[in-house]
Amino acid sequence: MPGALLRLLAIVVFAAALPCRGEDVISGRWEGTAHIPDSDLNVIVDLAQENGAWIGSIIIPGLDVKGTPLTDITVKAPDVSFSVKGTVGIQLKLQLDENGTMTGNFEQAGNRALTALQKTGPPQVERPPRNTPVAKELEGEWKGDYQMLGYARHVSIKFTNRGADGAAAEFVIVGRRTNNLPVDLVIQEGDLVSVDSDEIGITFEGRLRDGKLSGAVRQGAIETPLVLQRGK
Amino acid sequence: MNGSYTGVLLASLCAMAAANAQSMFRADATHSGRYAGPSPRQFHRVKWKFPTGDRVMSSPVFKDNVIYFGGDDGNVYAVDAETGRQIWKRTTNGPVPATPAIVDGTVYIGSYDGKFYALDARTGALKWRFTTEGERRFEAKGLHGMQPKNQTIADPFDVFLSSPVVANGSVYFGSGDGNLYALDSATGDMRWKFKTGDVVHASPALADGVLFFGSWDSYFYAVDATTGKEKWRFHAGEDPLIHNQVGFQSSPAVANGVVYTGCRDANLYALDAASGKEKWRFNTELSWVITSPAVADGKVFFATSDSSLYHVVDANSGKPVVRQQGKAYMFSSPAIAGDVAFIGVLNGILEARDVKTGELLWDFQVDTSKQNKGWVLTADRKFNVPFLYHSNWREAPILANDQQIRIGGVFSSPLVVNGVVYFGSADGYVYALE
Repeated sequence: MPGALLRLLAIVVFAAALPCRGEDVISGRWEGTAHIPDSDLNVIVDLAQENGAWIGSIIIPGLDVKGTPLTDITVKAPDVSFSVKGTVGIQLKLQLDENGTMTGNFEQAGNRALTALQKTGPPQVERPPRNTPVAKELEGEWKGDYQMLGYARHVSIKFTNRGADGAAAEFVIVGRRTNNLPVDLVIQEGDLVSVDSDEIGITFEGRLRDGKLSGAVRQGAIETPLVLQRGK
Repeated sequence: MNGSYTGVLLASLCAMAAANAQSMFRADATHSGRYAGPSPRQFHRVKWKFPTGDRVMSSPVFKDNVIYFGGDDGNVYAVDAETGRQIWKRTTNGPVPATPAIVDGTVYIGSYDGKFYALDARTGALKWRFTTEGERRFEAKGLHGMQPKNQTIADPFDVFLSSPVVANGSVYFGSGDGNLYALDSATGDMRWKFKTGDVVHASPALADGVLFFGSWDSYFYAVDATTGKEKWRFHAGEDPLIHNQVGFQSSPAVANGVVYTGCRDANLYALDAASGKEKWRFNTELSWVITSPAVADGKVFFATSDSSLYHVVDANSGKPVVRQQGKAYMFSSPAIAGDVAFIGVLNGILEARDVKTGELLWDFQVDTSKQNKGWVLTADRKFNVPFLYHSNWREAPILANDQQIRIGGVFSSPLVVNGVVYFGSADGYVYALE
């Protein structure tokens, strides 16, 4: 009876350890190729566990992607999936096989390519930049106008400090329609301020001087001067 | 007896007019884009496809059972319309993304080698050759936001050359040297040239002794065809920041005293042919109008680039009649034949749409587009823009554009003859569909 109990206990412990060991194996740097027709893409993925949660970043040299954070990471060994948000929008759905290779699909815009990644070392996850707090004088709403491609756009940016989470910003551009831009990053370094909407690909960068935020709005490669003043 | 003789005469005159209405760009000198004869409302088969050595941006024209077109492989081709077999080819020293005009047994066409050719339509033999001041593409600093912004960049979307119009012993065409030329169609001697401020790759339309055309200098011109003197000019939009929303790439159509033209400033304009006064404009919200409008039954047919919209508007008022969402940019110009409108799409598809409703009747996708190498297209056949255009630096946007074109984009404007649709593709083939 004690023998049977021990055997049962051993089985339970072993079974419980399997996914843990699988998940340990998944932590690391993975390199390989997405076999897109006539255009193989090199893919480098870093996956790690931190405080019981998975974090990760990805490098795709052919797509100008470097250290972009992974989102929606799901690890249920042997299955691993994650997304890369932003304008390109990628999903990887992989499975770890007995040879230590993660194979599966690289998906983008409804297209699907076979992908195989092999572990090449420990993880080197890149941390995304974090919002900084902004100076008291910057808090509140700023407004301005700029011209692009022949018509005027009205901009308002509203800064709010959120304690340990740094500042947040509401970034609204009104052209022919009203665009509430999702803001990914707010940074103040000295008198330099930047507000970034990575998903839309629009950034404002300016310098706070003499009660004005003077700088430029950049959409893709198009840069236009923009001066923001205190909203009334 | 007399009546039946008149009937036969009328019928043969109509047949001649219909035949002539297929032998130059956009069917005729006014660029109506309207083709006589039957039109396939259903796709049955590929009648033939003719391979060339490079992309085909040129639009086929038809004369005496022969299809003529230019190839970016540097050749001008004559192909049997029935069998798709090559009759002759004539090599120039540069790509030929222009559409020939066939008049009195002569093929007139320009090449990127900066020369304009008159060839024997039967044999391809050279009759004469005229040298312009040289071809070039539209270019600007920081064009479309490409970097570095202080560097001049040639426009990869400037894909066509001006196609000639021939009338009254003269041949007229625009050039990258900024001139509109008038040559003696028999000898190639220059009669006059008219200088504009930038590249002229739009094709002139001719009506009532006046030539109408736009330039990349942002002006649209009306010029006396006999003297080369300016009658009027119309100033469209400018874009000093990135030069994206400027210039006439679209070729005009003239009907009932009105000139219709698209513009890269995101408008379709209707201008009074006599005065140049604006009658109306249809704004497309930042999307280029590269297509040359077709005019038929009191309506204007055109399409847009980035917004990929197929539009039909009232010719008198510019009020929208039909608006259909397409999948990708359209540079090809609609061809109206019977109750079907045909238009090429840059994702490698030819579309057949109902003239009244604009609804898609059928489409044809070229093989390279189906293969979707490099994921140029999304799964639902739209351009995969963020995947392609991931950098504005160095040659990245140019290479992305080239990759996009090589999916087999149909820049060529369809020709419809006897129920067969002919068009070129950037996959290097000319197709005959029925």
